[in-house]
Amino acid sequence: MSAAPKWIPPGIGLLQGLAVTGKNFIGSFFRADRMTTVQYPEERVTLSPNSRNIPFLVFDGGDPDTGLRCVACGICEKECPPQCIYIVLDRDENGKSLKRPKVFDIDASVCMNCGICAEVCPFDSIFMDQEYELSSADRFKGLLFDKATLAKSATYHAKIRPLEAAAVAERKRAEEAKRAAAQAAKEAKAKADAAKKAEAPPTISNARPAGGSASPPDLSPTRSGQESDPPKSTQPTAPEEAP
Amino acid sequence: MSFLFILAPLILLSALGAAALARPVHAALMLALSLAFVAVLYIALGADFIGLVQFLVYIGAVAILIVFGLLLTRPADEAAEAARSLRTQLFGLFCALPVAIVLLNVVASSPELDRAATAPQNLSVAAMGISLFTTHAAAVLAVGVMLTAVLVGAAMMIRDTDPEDLP
Amino acid sequence: MSPASAPTFLETLPLLPQRLIGDALRSLGIPEAFAAAAETAVAAIIVFSLFAGMFALLSLIERKVLARVQNRPGPNRVGPCGILQPVADGIKMLTKEDVVPVSADRLLHFLAPVLIVIPSILALGVLPYGREWVPVPATLGLLFFFAVGAMTELSIFLAGWASGSKFPLLGAMRAIAQMVSYELPLILSATAVVMLSGTLSLPEIVEKQGGWTLGFLPAWNLFTPWGLVAGSIFFIAGIAEANRCPFDLPEGESEIVAGHMTEYSGFKYALFFMGEYLGLFALSSLGITLFLGGWQAPLPGLGFVPSYVWFFLKLAVVIFLFLWIRATFPRVRMDQLMRFAWMFLIPVALLNLPSAAVWHYAGGGLMGWLACGPFLVLPYLALTIHFNRKLAQSTRTYRFAE
Repeated sequence: MSAAPKWIPPGIGLLQGLAVTGKNFIGSFFRADRMTTVQYPEERVTLSPNSRNIPFLVFDGGDPDTGLRCVACGICEKECPPQCIYIVLDRDENGKSLKRPKVFDIDASVCMNCGICAEVCPFDSIFMDQEYELSSADRFKGLLFDKATLAKSATYHAKIRPLEAAAVAERKRAEEAKRAAAQAAKEAKAKADAAKKAEAPPTISNARPAGGSASPPDLSPTRSGQESDPPKSTQPTAPEEAP
Repeated sequence: MSFLFILAPLILLSALGAAALARPVHAALMLALSLAFVAVLYIALGADFIGLVQFLVYIGAVAILIVFGLLLTRPADEAAEAARSLRTQLFGLFCALPVAIVLLNVVASSPELDRAATAPQNLSVAAMGISLFTTHAAAVLAVGVMLTAVLVGAAMMIRDTDPEDLP
Repeated sequence: MSPASAPTFLETLPLLPQRLIGDALRSLGIPEAFAAAAETAVAAIIVFSLFAGMFALLSLIERKVLARVQNRPGPNRVGPCGILQPVADGIKMLTKEDVVPVSADRLLHFLAPVLIVIPSILALGVLPYGREWVPVPATLGLLFFFAVGAMTELSIFLAGWASGSKFPLLGAMRAIAQMVSYELPLILSATAVVMLSGTLSLPEIVEKQGGWTLGFLPAWNLFTPWGLVAGSIFFIAGIAEANRCPFDLPEGESEIVAGHMTEYSGFKYALFFMGEYLGLFALSSLGITLFLGGWQAPLPGLGFVPSYVWFFLKLAVVIFLFLWIRATFPRVRMDQLMRFAWMFLIPVALLNLPSAAVWHYAGGGLMGWLACGPFLVLPYLALTIHFNRKLAQSTRTYRFAE
């Protein structure tokens, strides 16, 4: 490593250094593209579509209480690495599951914004938000987000992540169509059976809806969060976002 | 002459402090203070050049040298403890007494004492410089050569021992 | 010097307050000695408040310039373009808690920041800011400047020792070693000017630099071979004396927190900064006085502008140079710093003295350049080539990084 360096007149190296900083100094006054500072409260950078921060819950329609997609299955609660999610299933007076959360809390001071909850959710109900101004004067209450705070409409989701929301809506529509088709087939079958029964002695048919690979959203979470193991991760997950 | 009656006690007090204070750093600072008062005395007597040089040399070099030496010695508390013991104090007195006797003797026998009351001579820098480089030229040259040798020697002492540490 | 015998009104404008007060006191029958003292006090107050204001402004401008070099806008939130930032900083400093460590020597810990500001203010008093504007005309101005400058080192030591903790002590040791080493080339380069001017009075040194060579080049000391060398040495040593980057080892944030200022907070810390910046102003002003012709105009025909305007313009340029260098060069190592002073600056500064003598006897001009050239170019080339070759021969070993 001791190859003799090319001889340059002494002092030139210092002047070269000064020239570099001098160029930057002058250039910063004349070329706007040199200045990369964003004056934050007034200006903001546009977030990339995949940027994510705290999770939020999606509800359909206009009412966050009834339209919440969450069925309190508790998958996200179990998957959450820092365990910042707390869910209590809502039940009626007979102890029957109402398939909706009574309590859904996320401790924002613990959440590390990994997005695993959004990935594992089989009901497309929890997604990552892009809200980053979360500072609070109360470090305990102010950072514990409850159900009302977390609930945001499907239109908001479509606004911040149009590709992801469109994919979710597309899948929902397909499932709806499939369910309608299955229903129609079932009815047709029943009708045919009735017609057959009229002419022949009845036989028990175990008619099942066709295409039952994906468990319909209204069927699977009959088990409540506390008493059962979660469905396997072969369940449909939140679709990958746009590349 | 009124300033002498203000400055002389200050000089004596600070010198006494330099001798009496237990912590070495305090003693060194009192010494520097005493030297500074001497510089003020020079200036008050009209010898501006000597006063400023006293300041430059004794505060800027000698006091700094002492203080720098103190920085490299440790611990200060042990030295303070030693300074309180009777044996050390007696030894200090034993060393200081002969010096004091000699100095007082020199001052008392100096013929300059009689001339002190007369008006100051020409103390301008130009006159001093002319005097230095004519009547005292040999001494100035000798001192100059010596100091340059000291400088070169200092530079030699820190000459590169390890080539990687070059500037 | 100037063809006009009576100084113009603009020229004497900075002296107006002190004259008014002096005349008022005299007309009231106050003894002459007191009136003169009052005049000097007013002059000192004017200079001090001027430089204190410039200190506040520089603390903003420095951040702005450094930011621009790094393509940032710099502080711009307080007031238009951040112009009120120094006020905000001052309020912050004043309202901070004043912490004194338990192990500190309370009296000396308090004394150090006070003592560090005094020499800089004293030094600013003897400088000639304009043809008529010299706050305290002293015949030994240059010597006075260096004599009070000697106090800075002692107060830095006080700060380092009295804090009773290790980083301040390390910083003080570095600072003293550095300042003692660089005072030598500083004074030696100033000596060359004294040799050729034949005076220690700063206003006279400036007046000796009046006039023009070849009709357009100002006869400043910088435009002579010995002045060029002495000026460069003075500038480099001045950077080190003012503890500025790349010689800011005593503060070395990345190594020893803040050096001798580590255990200081609030307004005491601000006083350290003030002392440092006032020292920077004083050194730059002295450099301008010695080598850049002080208040002399840079081109013929510009004499109608008040002389102090030129002085402060030059000061602004020199200060900008300090900032530019700070923005460019990384900090040097302690041994490099010491070796640079003792192996390069002091030999060149010593050789510069005979060079100045030769210039004097050659009578200046082309003859002088020819006679002085070898004195300056040869040692410079010899030393730098010597160091470069040594550096090229050396293999870099990493003793502790493996």
